[in-house]
Amino acid sequence: MNIEPDYEKKDDHLARRILERIRGERIIPRWKFIFKNYFFWALGALATALGALAFSAALFEVQSVDWRFSSVTHTDFWAFFFAVMPFLWVGALALFIVVGYVNIRRTKHGYRYPLLAITLGAICISLALGTGLYATGLGREIEESIGDHPPFYRPIVIEERSWWLAPEKGLLGGRVVSSAPDSASFVLRDFDDHIWSVEENDLDNTSLAAVARGGVVRVIGVPTTATSSSFHACFVFSWEPRGGFFGEPAVPPAKVITASTSERSAAMPRSEVCRGIRPYQQLRHIDETGL
Amino acid sequence: MPSEVTDEDIVRRTLLDKEKFALLLERYEQKLARYLERLGVGIREDREDILQNAFIKAYKNLNSFDQTLTFSSWMYRITHNEAMSFFRSRRARPHITLGGESEMLITELRDENSDTSRVAELRLSREEIAKAFAALAPRQRDVLALRFFEDRSYAEMSDILEVPAGTVSTLLHRAKRALREALPESFSS
Repeated sequence: MNIEPDYEKKDDHLARRILERIRGERIIPRWKFIFKNYFFWALGALATALGALAFSAALFEVQSVDWRFSSVTHTDFWAFFFAVMPFLWVGALALFIVVGYVNIRRTKHGYRYPLLAITLGAICISLALGTGLYATGLGREIEESIGDHPPFYRPIVIEERSWWLAPEKGLLGGRVVSSAPDSASFVLRDFDDHIWSVEENDLDNTSLAAVARGGVVRVIGVPTTATSSSFHACFVFSWEPRGGFFGEPAVPPAKVITASTSERSAAMPRSEVCRGIRPYQQLRHIDETGL
Repeated sequence: MPSEVTDEDIVRRTLLDKEKFALLLERYEQKLARYLERLGVGIREDREDILQNAFIKAYKNLNSFDQTLTFSSWMYRITHNEAMSFFRSRRARPHITLGGESEMLITELRDENSDTSRVAELRLSREEIAKAFAALAPRQRDVLALRFFEDRSYAEMSDILEVPAGTVSTLLHRAKRALREALPESFSS
């Protein structure tokens, strides 16, 4: 097959000039293009994986807050929603999806995929992978390790605790330090390490069971006086296990209640102090059903 | 030169012997110069500079030539990108002068118009058509030029402009509508 160029014979200055230039140029090796293509695919995949990590942290954040108490801790649902919305992680997820798109678009055939297909693909993979990572507990790890560092960000676990450090609003959270079956009060160390004497006269069996079980609890009640360290409890709920947005009933039935607390609960007359607690009926419902 | 020798064959040969690149120059120099003119690179020296850069870039990147494309699409893509860089770097507006292309455009628009006889009666000057064409967004001019002046398929246009095929279709539809609107009222009504 004879394919000899005839530019030497033709009067084509441009072609001659280009050929002259080409004689001094070198063709870029193939491996560089292959590497570049894989590099952008790898960056795209990495961004999607990071998006999955961000989503797992977001999922943990949404799940770790007890949504049953939204109307107790916040004035309305939307105030609560914006408080628990994992903006940092959703922002990170969005950023990684954009980074993923930009990199996949720069691969050899990236331009052939429509924006919607790449974006939806990256979102779906991030969400599916993120859910899997959340199930392994990685979401919590990320939230607790990385989430601590940005100065503008407070991990949701800390944020939620702060809502329960408001005795003036009737909200107290902390660890039960001591609880005697025959006593009318228990001692609680709140999240700021203050010690509280919590009156339990008005607690029903479920709440008493939560106290007896110990650990970290949420107490809803009324401060005895504005300055003292005593608190009148109306409801006590275990902090763990958490009843997240998709969660199971958080407070198990009162199986661990002892005979003595049961007897005491039945014997003690109820005061009217707790009637002012809002939303009382909703709290009764949570108390009775755990939902 | 035997006609069965494909561009892709020449690319393979050029990888072994750089002088063979002259054949690709021979095949594409005039086509691409005309394409640049249609894109609005009005001055001959500018066209030659762009072409020179495009061919050198093509040569240096021959190993990245994607065998799933035609060489023609790949070369048009490089030239198109060079032209866009030229407009950006010079902050120059395209200088559109249409010759016989104006009739091609009108024919295309006319084909979609049910009242063809009426349109045929309209006397639109080349200047009017060129003015309407120049008033379009650059992307719209790109698709019209590739489709109607360069006779490119949707797949080729997708490879040249580096957009999904569906986007090409949308762009073309919008470009035709925009061109109709940009033409004197007597045509679009």
